[in-house]
Amino acid sequence: MKQHDRGSKQLAYRCGSAIAVALICLGSLLGQLSAQSGELRFCLRAEPKTFNPLKVEEDSSGAIRYLTGGVLVRVNRQTQELEPGLAQSWKVSKDGRQISFRLRSGISFSDGTPFTAEDVAFTVQQLMDPALHSPTGDAFRSGTGNVETKVISPTQISIRFPSQVAGLDRLFDQVAILSQHSPKKEMAVLGPFMVADYKPGSEVLLKRNPNYWKIDEQGRKLPYLDSIRLDIQPNRDVEMLRFKRGELDLINSLDSEYFDKLAATSPQLAHDAGASLDSEQLWFNEVAKSPIPGYKKNWFRSANFRRAISEAINREDLSRVVFRGHAQPAMGPFSPANKFWFNPNLKPQTYSPDAAMKSLQSEGFRLENGTLKDKDGNTVVFSIITNAGNKSRERMAVLIQDDLQKIGIHVNVVTLDFPSLIERMTQSFDYEAIILGLTNVDLDPNGEMNVWLSSSDSHQWNPQQKTPETPWEAEIDRLMRAQASTSDLKKRKEAFDRVQEIVVEQQPFIFLVNKNALSAVSANVHGAAPVILSPQTFWNAERLSVPAK
Amino acid sequence: MAFDTPQNDTLLSAHFSLRYADKPVLRGVRLEIQRGEVMGLVGQSGSGKSTLAMTILGLLEKKRAHAEGSIQFQDSDLLQLSERELRTLRGRSISLVLQSPLSSLNPALRIRTQLKEAWRAHASGTNSDCGNAIRTCLESVSLPTDDEFLRKYPSQMSVGQAQRVLIAMAVMHRPVLLIADEATSALDVITQSEILALFRALNRSTGMAILYISHDLASVAGICDRIAILHQGEVVECGTTEQIFANPQHEYTQRLMAAMPRILPAGPSIQHKTQAAATR
Amino acid sequence: MRSESMNLGRKLACAVLVLVLAASAAANWLAPAGYARQYRDATGAPPSRAHWLGTDEIGRDRFARVLYGTRISLLLAPAAAFLSTLMAAFIGGLAGYLGGAWARIAMAVTDLFLSLPWLFLLITARALMPLNVSPLVSVLVTFLLLGLLGWTTAARVLCTTAASLRSSDFVRQARAVGLPGQRLFWIHVVPNLKPVLYAQFWISIPVFILSEANLGILGLGVAEPMPSWGSLLKELEGMVSVGEEPWKFVPLILLVVVVTSFQLLLSRQEEIAA
Repeated sequence: MKQHDRGSKQLAYRCGSAIAVALICLGSLLGQLSAQSGELRFCLRAEPKTFNPLKVEEDSSGAIRYLTGGVLVRVNRQTQELEPGLAQSWKVSKDGRQISFRLRSGISFSDGTPFTAEDVAFTVQQLMDPALHSPTGDAFRSGTGNVETKVISPTQISIRFPSQVAGLDRLFDQVAILSQHSPKKEMAVLGPFMVADYKPGSEVLLKRNPNYWKIDEQGRKLPYLDSIRLDIQPNRDVEMLRFKRGELDLINSLDSEYFDKLAATSPQLAHDAGASLDSEQLWFNEVAKSPIPGYKKNWFRSANFRRAISEAINREDLSRVVFRGHAQPAMGPFSPANKFWFNPNLKPQTYSPDAAMKSLQSEGFRLENGTLKDKDGNTVVFSIITNAGNKSRERMAVLIQDDLQKIGIHVNVVTLDFPSLIERMTQSFDYEAIILGLTNVDLDPNGEMNVWLSSSDSHQWNPQQKTPETPWEAEIDRLMRAQASTSDLKKRKEAFDRVQEIVVEQQPFIFLVNKNALSAVSANVHGAAPVILSPQTFWNAERLSVPAK
Repeated sequence: MAFDTPQNDTLLSAHFSLRYADKPVLRGVRLEIQRGEVMGLVGQSGSGKSTLAMTILGLLEKKRAHAEGSIQFQDSDLLQLSERELRTLRGRSISLVLQSPLSSLNPALRIRTQLKEAWRAHASGTNSDCGNAIRTCLESVSLPTDDEFLRKYPSQMSVGQAQRVLIAMAVMHRPVLLIADEATSALDVITQSEILALFRALNRSTGMAILYISHDLASVAGICDRIAILHQGEVVECGTTEQIFANPQHEYTQRLMAAMPRILPAGPSIQHKTQAAATR
Repeated sequence: MRSESMNLGRKLACAVLVLVLAASAAANWLAPAGYARQYRDATGAPPSRAHWLGTDEIGRDRFARVLYGTRISLLLAPAAAFLSTLMAAFIGGLAGYLGGAWARIAMAVTDLFLSLPWLFLLITARALMPLNVSPLVSVLVTFLLLGLLGWTTAARVLCTTAASLRSSDFVRQARAVGLPGQRLFWIHVVPNLKPVLYAQFWISIPVFILSEANLGILGLGVAEPMPSWGSLLKELEGMVSVGEEPWKFVPLILLVVVVTSFQLLLSRQEEIAA
């Protein structure tokens, strides 16, 4: 492995000098040569909506921000630890409201403008400017009032927020620093690459940032790559086909079916990085004012019923059959892949139709000719809706349908187009059960505040509660607020561990599986080490290399 | 114009004008047909011959055709009859044979079906009654009556056979008047003469009157007792065949005579003269 | 020679249809485990003695699913096609035959129909239906909708065809024979619309089978776990090469063979006539 690495670096070095020669002798050939050497290619699945790093809200723009933006601190996608970036060191105050950075010196933006603490101050003010509506800025907004930035010296700055921000330092992983003075505005960047060309609907070309500050262990300037060509291609079949033809080097996320097809022919190209943070879950409609029959509301609002359903679902089979082993049975609301925050005391959820049946019987349910009836004689039938076109969710629904049939529950599976599904889920509450997934970008549970607070819109099983309707929801509210109001990691972890236990006990979300992070990397790419965190394959883009063709 | 036949034998007496889509097509047309006679109606295309036939049968689009005057047929005025009343006349008292036999038969139906439908339109009875009627009428036009023939589709027959089928259909209910609209123009000369002979024979055996419409004066001459000449929506001359041929009164008739491709006994010199007169 | 080979083709078509119908009728005996049974330890399996056509992604016997799916699709798709053809004949044919204001009204309705935002309407239709409907009801409703909606394009063609028939010699001749209007329509207009009607019918069947599968996106169509040809054809989505898993193409081949057989058998009369 090591040898492999060195070889590739030498190659990159050689190709770098080749370009230098070309620059001097054959200026006209430069474009052609550099296009042929050290170019990484992969697909964006949608048009990037913006190149302004503060306005990023979808994946394509996020990928460009990750590749071009310089950040003060960086979450290492492999170790999940926070590492220095433009800031050599940093310190969060005890009250969690203030953070001070000590910056590296002698760094300049891609256009040559020097980087100072003024730029950081400018970026933070922009970020928090209500007029800009920065989605990244929302994570920092904990209370009303202005953010104070204090530039102590060109390499020192402290930032004070109006109130405590949980996990403050890690949030700066998302904040790409803008230049205050550069005439090129957001196109002047501090990251390893810069946007060189953009053909809407077709591609984005990133070129190496010649002023990038980082050097590798051997003292060579990073990045190794000359350019990255990002094709805009929403069709995954096409993406796969082009990858197989060698026209693409990476596929950031694959579903299990594609993965297996690839693994069948070229196993060395398919990477399964293990369970990711993403979860798939089933939940029942517990909204009091929903237009479903009262007796069904009684079932769905009974923890006993929800636990029985959870126990009757064979999660092993879900991950084995539906995801072909590329998913792990979910243990609780957080994936074990979240190294720090996962509650290690949680045990795998048991699968036992018999136990499920017993606990249902204890609430007056009974089997009659293979059909489950509640204590008032109502037949237990409900529908599970999920978004059409998502094969794995449709298949999970069919497996669950079969599992629940074993305890006499008849399930109707209905697939709906996404807008209709969302309309039922958030507006009319006209549904009984839903299977959907939750994508976690954030390692910190603070990012899930909106899911767990009972007053929140995204508290899906019963959103916008004026006051918590159940004691356990009240308890979760309390714990979530408690963890958010301290910067003491140990206390935060304790609180969130308890939240995870309550959720497993009450099953408002019946967590089914955590999908594995599946990706594909061509044999051309050296230095690749796919991880579970986004961006899975190119998190270390500055250290990837591709031999010249 | 001569009306030399006794009035009481008049079958149809028409005197009317017709506007179609607000354009005058027929102007003060006078036409009388006697029982049992073969009446020729000659005129070039566009003169309104077919429109006249359609008006008699009431087949013109009611909304676009406005007729003034009367068409006395038997005891009623055809122009005053309702669609229902007209329908009972069509095919039973007055029937029609059109120019191109192949397109006048429904290509999707067997001959038997089409004949059956024609019979059912005015008669009721058992299948064997119907079969007998079909056989009789086919025999009357010298067509085979066997099953194989009846199972044929129009596309499987010759033009002459198809025209005979149409005629059979037209005479099925023994109408008193048969209108033949260019019924022989699409046929070759030999078939044409056969069909003409058939018309004459049917006229003699059943006594039905025939209104024989054609642009071709020559073909009309052979079978018609009387001939009316239609020119630009008007009947310009009407008389016995002999009268018309021997002594054409109207200038148009003279031109028609001159254009006849037949060599007349009087020789080409007359023809030349008339033609010269006409062009001068 | 030619008629002999045609005869052979017809016999073959007949045999195929009898076989397919019999097999699907006998599904209960041929595949006693049923279409919903999940063999979770043999998912995506190739053909074997236990599973003649292999199993699908969640381990259901494909042979059983094809048999039961044939029942659904072979009954309902032609029924829906018949319904839409009938509507097209009635609306388009009658309007064309009557002509004038009738034709204008009918064509305006047809245009309106063609320009309606279907997706939106179907979503509304789904929204009006309760979520808890059995798979069978769901598929019945879907085919009914397809039948009620699929007549428009054919109606336009039929309207113009009928209008030209109305002014044709044989219709005039038939009127001169004294046939009443209603009889004229059924005897002289409808039979001559047959080629268009046949085309509409035969095109509709495969179209409806596929539409049913696509309506799954809107929560219409056959619901899990019930199979239909459409849902079986969905398996072919995203397949890159035929060689990989050829047995997955059985439903497609079956669809083509059955539709062709029907056509062969029923177009017999047309051919003789021509």
